[in-house]
Amino acid sequence: MSTSVLIVDDHPSFRASARRMLEASGYSVVGEAADGAAAIAAARELAPQLVLLDVQLPDIDGFEVAARLKALDGAPDVILTSSRDGADFGTAIAESPARGFIAKAELSGASLAELVE
Amino acid sequence: MSGLRRALIGLAGLALLIGVAVAALILDSNHASPRGLLLGLILGAGWSFAFTGLYAWDRRPGNNIGPLMTAIGFTWFFQGLQAADDSILFAIGTVGGTVPFAILLQLLAGFPSGHLQTLLARGAVGLAYLVTVPLQFVWALFVDPTVQRDCDGCPKNPILIDGYEGVSNAINAFQVLGGIVAIAIVIGIVIANWRRSSETERRVLTPVVFTGSLAFTILLVQLIIGELGVSNTVKELTYIASITVFACLPFAFLVGLLRSRIGRAEEVSSALTIENEQLTAELQAKVEELRASRHRIVEAGYAERRRVERNLHDGAQQRLMALTMNLRLARDKLAEDPTATAELLDEAMEELATATAELRELARGIHPVLLSERGLRAALGGLADRSPVPVEIIETPEERLPDAVEMAAYFVVAEALTNVARYAEAEGATVRVARHNGVVEVEVSDDGAGGADLDAGTGLRGLEDRVAALEGSFGVRSSAGQGTTVEARIPCA
Repeated sequence: MSTSVLIVDDHPSFRASARRMLEASGYSVVGEAADGAAAIAAARELAPQLVLLDVQLPDIDGFEVAARLKALDGAPDVILTSSRDGADFGTAIAESPARGFIAKAELSGASLAELVE
Repeated sequence: MSGLRRALIGLAGLALLIGVAVAALILDSNHASPRGLLLGLILGAGWSFAFTGLYAWDRRPGNNIGPLMTAIGFTWFFQGLQAADDSILFAIGTVGGTVPFAILLQLLAGFPSGHLQTLLARGAVGLAYLVTVPLQFVWALFVDPTVQRDCDGCPKNPILIDGYEGVSNAINAFQVLGGIVAIAIVIGIVIANWRRSSETERRVLTPVVFTGSLAFTILLVQLIIGELGVSNTVKELTYIASITVFACLPFAFLVGLLRSRIGRAEEVSSALTIENEQLTAELQAKVEELRASRHRIVEAGYAERRRVERNLHDGAQQRLMALTMNLRLARDKLAEDPTATAELLDEAMEELATATAELRELARGIHPVLLSERGLRAALGGLADRSPVPVEIIETPEERLPDAVEMAAYFVVAEALTNVARYAEAEGATVRVARHNGVVEVEVSDDGAGGADLDAGTGLRGLEDRVAALEGSFGVRSSAGQGTTVEARIPCA
């Protein structure tokens, strides 16, 4: 059975591309959210196994969203992503409960599989 | 030497001559007594008033005090003419002898400006002149000095109308009463002036108030006891006392007048201090304003960089990310699904075109290349073309303006048109940029909803700072329903 994924990003063009890429790589995209609050609500409702979470969201900071997602029952794995380089965030990524970080430019089924498995 | 000074020296010479002539009259008189004392007092008071008056006139030509003191000095010598054995001179002395007291009262009431400020002062001085000039003349018509003044050696009065002793007594009574009233009023005025004066003004007034009031008080006493029929010795003593104080008066006036010069200098100095404090406060306000404006400009710089970063991040960068993913996907699908690959490539090209347009727009926001290459007219035309609200360019300068002025004018129009499109709900807008008399005037008007506010965070404050940095002024006129006009005036020599 394919891994269920929730995509959280405020740019629709990115969400569309990511969905296509993930689906092409064998993931099952169960939902999309454009901001942090919608992401937490969607995660509660859809209980995805994996959340691809943009760091810069219009409402709540991505790291904060990651922490809240990890506090849910049956917390999903969180993969942070951003159009910035991981180094731009200093130690925040290492300190967050997220499983890992992938720069958007590096995002592919293979890079995701590397972190999740 | 000025004409005035020559005239004043001439008057001083005249005073000297008149004094000598009067001295000769007194010394030659067969009825004046005591001669020595009379001589000293007439010459002392006459000359001291005349010379100090001329000195004051020279030092303060615009002030009436000098001329008035000089007039007192000259008219004072009339009293000396009363020593003459010649009946005409004696009559002139009798008629003119009281004039200096009226002038002195005027001087006292108007010190130190020389002007009578109140109706009361003018009334009192007018009364003094009435009793000392016309009434004195009328009185003199009915006075036989050998009888009424108990003066055996006095010459006969050449203008005497004999047999009206009662008339002369009545006139004299009125003169004495009028004199007392006038003197009392002026002393009251002088004391009231002194009481409400500042410390600096008091330094000017004190010598005059003290000596003047003393002199007139003695004169009052003299007038009153003259009516009471006291002994001649007492009359003589009060006469001597009053003449002595009168001789001191001109020096008191002079001291007061010269102190008023110093006082004036102190006033000027104090005014300068106040002005200086005001200027310092204004300067301080200006410095605060500059500090605030500099702070806002730096903040605006950071905000602009954040905006550019945000625009790049949200716009072109996102599109390029999506493009990367699509291309990667297309590469992966190339062998198995050429149709899907073609679709992905089409989409990628669209993303690329959009990203390019966004980058171009962003670059224009950072620096409008059309402006630097082709000038304000072309750049404003470009803004008008891209505006979603119809924009009419009414006027733009033919010639190129300095870079900083062109940039400021451009950004004023650009920001104003952005606001028109975003908030104004306008049907149309007009743009006018004109150069007149070394000032470039920029005006953007719309027919929209109005109600724009400099402090509402619509970028207007940033424009104001940009214009202020060029020493220009910036304003927004916008009342609800009346449209909005953004105006900037930028100096451009």
